[in-house]
Amino acid sequence: MKLIQMTKTSSFSLISTNKIIQINNVWTSYDSKNFALEGINLSIDRGTNYAIVGQSGSGKSTLLKLMNGMMIPSQGTIKIDYVTPNMNNKKFKHMMHTIGYIPQSLGLVKNITVIENIMIGALPRLNKIESMFKRFPEHEINEAKRIISLVGLTGKEERKAYMLSGGEKRRVAIARALMQKPTILLADEIVSELDHVTAREIMNLIAEAQKRMNLTAIMVHHDMQLALEYANRVAVIKEGQKILEIGVEGDKIVDFQTGDLNTEEIMEMYDDSKK
Amino acid sequence: MTPKNNIVIGIIIALVFVASYNVDANPIEFVEGLPNLAIVVEEMFSVEPKYIPTALWAMFETIQMAFIGTVVGTAIALPLSMLAARNLNSKYVYAPVRALLAAIRTFPSILWAILFVIMVGLGTFAGVLAIVMYTVGFVAKLQYEAIETIDSDPMDAVSSIGVSKWQLVRYVVIPESASHLLSQILYMFDYNVRQTSILGLVGAGGIGFYIINYIKFFEYGKAAVFMLVVLVTVLFIDWVSVKIRDKYIIKSQHGMEVTTK
Ligand SMILES: Nc1ncnc2c1ncn2[C@@H]1O[C@H](COP(=O)(O)OP(=O)(O)O)[C@@H](O)[C@H]1O
Ligand SMILES: [Mg+2]
Repeated sequence: MKLIQMTKTSSFSLISTNKIIQINNVWTSYDSKNFALEGINLSIDRGTNYAIVGQSGSGKSTLLKLMNGMMIPSQGTIKIDYVTPNMNNKKFKHMMHTIGYIPQSLGLVKNITVIENIMIGALPRLNKIESMFKRFPEHEINEAKRIISLVGLTGKEERKAYMLSGGEKRRVAIARALMQKPTILLADEIVSELDHVTAREIMNLIAEAQKRMNLTAIMVHHDMQLALEYANRVAVIKEGQKILEIGVEGDKIVDFQTGDLNTEEIMEMYDDSKK
Repeated sequence: MTPKNNIVIGIIIALVFVASYNVDANPIEFVEGLPNLAIVVEEMFSVEPKYIPTALWAMFETIQMAFIGTVVGTAIALPLSMLAARNLNSKYVYAPVRALLAAIRTFPSILWAILFVIMVGLGTFAGVLAIVMYTVGFVAKLQYEAIETIDSDPMDAVSSIGVSKWQLVRYVVIPESASHLLSQILYMFDYNVRQTSILGLVGAGGIGFYIINYIKFFEYGKAAVFMLVVLVTVLFIDWVSVKIRDKYIIKSQHGMEVTTK
């Protein structure tokens, strides 16, 4: 259990050097009436293990979809390495190759094997014609095998994805993302449905890869506890707005920014999330 | 039942009578014609056994025509279905392809057969071409509908990696719609055997060619024997495809069901 010790409060101005993601006053809506996000600001340093926490329907998934260019904001700007995410933007299209995105439902192809699912991560850099025949270069096969053993799926390479357990499916999705040689990993509540032990196994796996590859990981969680355990920074989203952002160092909360929340409310929120 | 419904039903029945009168469909003639059936059956038994191998060979030829037509038609239909799927293409691509497929489908296979008889002459080749066209129109439609119902989840996840369109097709679209396709091919082959059996009526080869000629020369017994061969074959193919469907398709769909959360 982590202790919350406020060592610094209300520091709005974090001096930033290497911002990989910058989100400025972003509004989004699926229909003309309601906004899923209402004026979100986020600024994420390269190499951060960033967590986004919030209740169901608060806009977490929407935020991730904006970052990988699947959605575009109705208002405001987003920059990933100074490029605006948009699937029709040529420059960003190239960046997509190294942005690993794992949706809440994982997005595995059920009727192909584990190794084929993982190879999908390498497709953008493979020969277009050879990949049609599922012929892969030796070094890519070795890379896939290395990642398979890293995520603990050795021996299951030829299984069809639909035959796997929930934990194994998540490992495949992570392996596919790692196969992209990612600089950014976006993961949407991928451990929410897992039991305590398996969830931590998966989180350790990502934390490990994140440190070694200097990945910027942005992970959506339902559970504040998990976010505090693994992330350097945690943003809390409520009804489309960021209501809190805290920095975590070891067991300490090193700084935090809130709109109009006081310490008690933060503690309350933390308690709520433990239930 | 409301009086309004009664009136509607009354009108429909009246229309059937009027239409029957117009087209000269007289039930009394049907009843009077029944004994003729007995004569045909009697004639069937007097058909010499040497015609049986001919009938079987003609049926085999018909099945081969249907087989080629189904395979080639499906091979052409597949890429077209990819182009016609709304979740894979822009409007400027799928709209014209759909219009083309709809146009192909408006022709029944017998009309295609007439067209190809005019183009390439009498014989089995015209029949094969007709079956190809018919198969293209239908398999492409069934398949693009199947593609449009693919789970958007793997589609979105894989697209967001930035793979090429054909890589998406190869790694997501085809595997996720393969069981639909197998089922459609079986259905189409089954249906094509029936269709090919009558293409001979317009000179496009197959067993129908024999049937129409026997009828022309009033050899109803022989015609009936050949028709019986068609009936038995179609029943047999139907039975086999039900078996295949049970064994492979139901199983794989079950496998998919287990995985959906
Ligand atoms: N495809 C969609 N169409 C319409 N509304 C949507 C869609 N996806 C999400 N929303 C709405 O946007 C809001 C935020 O959703 P989402 O980002 O999925 O929340 P979270 O991931 O935090 O549960 C919710 O009110 C939800 O109903
Ligand atoms: Mg969500």
